[in-house]
Amino acid sequence: MSAGGDLIEKTAERHRREPWDELGLAGERAFAYQRAGATFGIWIFIASEVLFFGALFLLYTAMRLEHAADFAIAARETNIVYGTLNTALLLTTGLCAAIASQASEQKGLQRLTLWCLGATVLLGLAFMAVKGVEYSEDIEKHLLPGAGFALKEPATQLFFGFYWLATSIHAIHLSIGIALVVRLIWKEWREPGFLFESPQVEVVMLYWGFVDMIWIVLYPMLYLDGRAG
Amino acid sequence: MSERSRTSIGRIWRRGLIVWALLLAFLALSLFAAYAAPASWAAPINFGIAATQAVLVALLFMRLDRADTLVRLAAACGLFWLAILFALTLTDTLSRLANS
Repeated sequence: MSAGGDLIEKTAERHRREPWDELGLAGERAFAYQRAGATFGIWIFIASEVLFFGALFLLYTAMRLEHAADFAIAARETNIVYGTLNTALLLTTGLCAAIASQASEQKGLQRLTLWCLGATVLLGLAFMAVKGVEYSEDIEKHLLPGAGFALKEPATQLFFGFYWLATSIHAIHLSIGIALVVRLIWKEWREPGFLFESPQVEVVMLYWGFVDMIWIVLYPMLYLDGRAG
Repeated sequence: MSERSRTSIGRIWRRGLIVWALLLAFLALSLFAAYAAPASWAAPINFGIAATQAVLVALLFMRLDRADTLVRLAAACGLFWLAILFALTLTDTLSRLANS
């Protein structure tokens, strides 16, 4: 799918949000300001999300300091194959998202942008599928905190409470990310050339990068602890 | 596709793939360290690797390396408040643990 010449020439006009004329700026300049504003806005959101997840990570840190031995026992019960596979999948979606974002800024790379967005969605869905299989295995192994929990040590339930909370909140974030990328693909399908220089691509891809980073931190917390020896 | 598009595609992929290969190499390293490193060293090594990976993603995938000062400041603010959250809470937790 390639953008027509007219569409590319009118990039600023298509992406600029009203009311821009109140700024008294030329169209191109108003668009440049709005683009910078969009990037700044998503980074403010990401900084607030850092604090949201930061509180969760702090909870883990405080609990692990107090119950290090129990946490090591509990972490050994998570499935390291699924965890590692999912980390590799998410790191690869990060690559696709970064390529899509950079390709969208250059003329004539709409097809590459679209392919990378498609790959991001598919790999994101693969992550969710692996997580689903892992969840069902965890439930079978009675790793849901509460009556009939599989492990004897009391603080192992705290670990799995954190495991379910953190991974489900991460999965909700990833689902939102997948929906946002699908929306971009749909917009391009409805209006060919939409992706070229659209600030929306950069904003969504920055959000995706952040969701990636959260998993990078969750991986050693949930899967790598207690494996030594 | 023009010659210029091909050159920029090559450049975009080359840079991206190098970062991606580094990230996967760090993933393999942390997996190895989790099993092979002495128990007391495994956690610092693995969280150190995770922090390195997160920095790579932020700088080279999320392009903080070429971002405006304002954007970098917004990103740094998140970490700044996070540092305060951790420092003050852990001061309390660690002093209780040390005295228990």
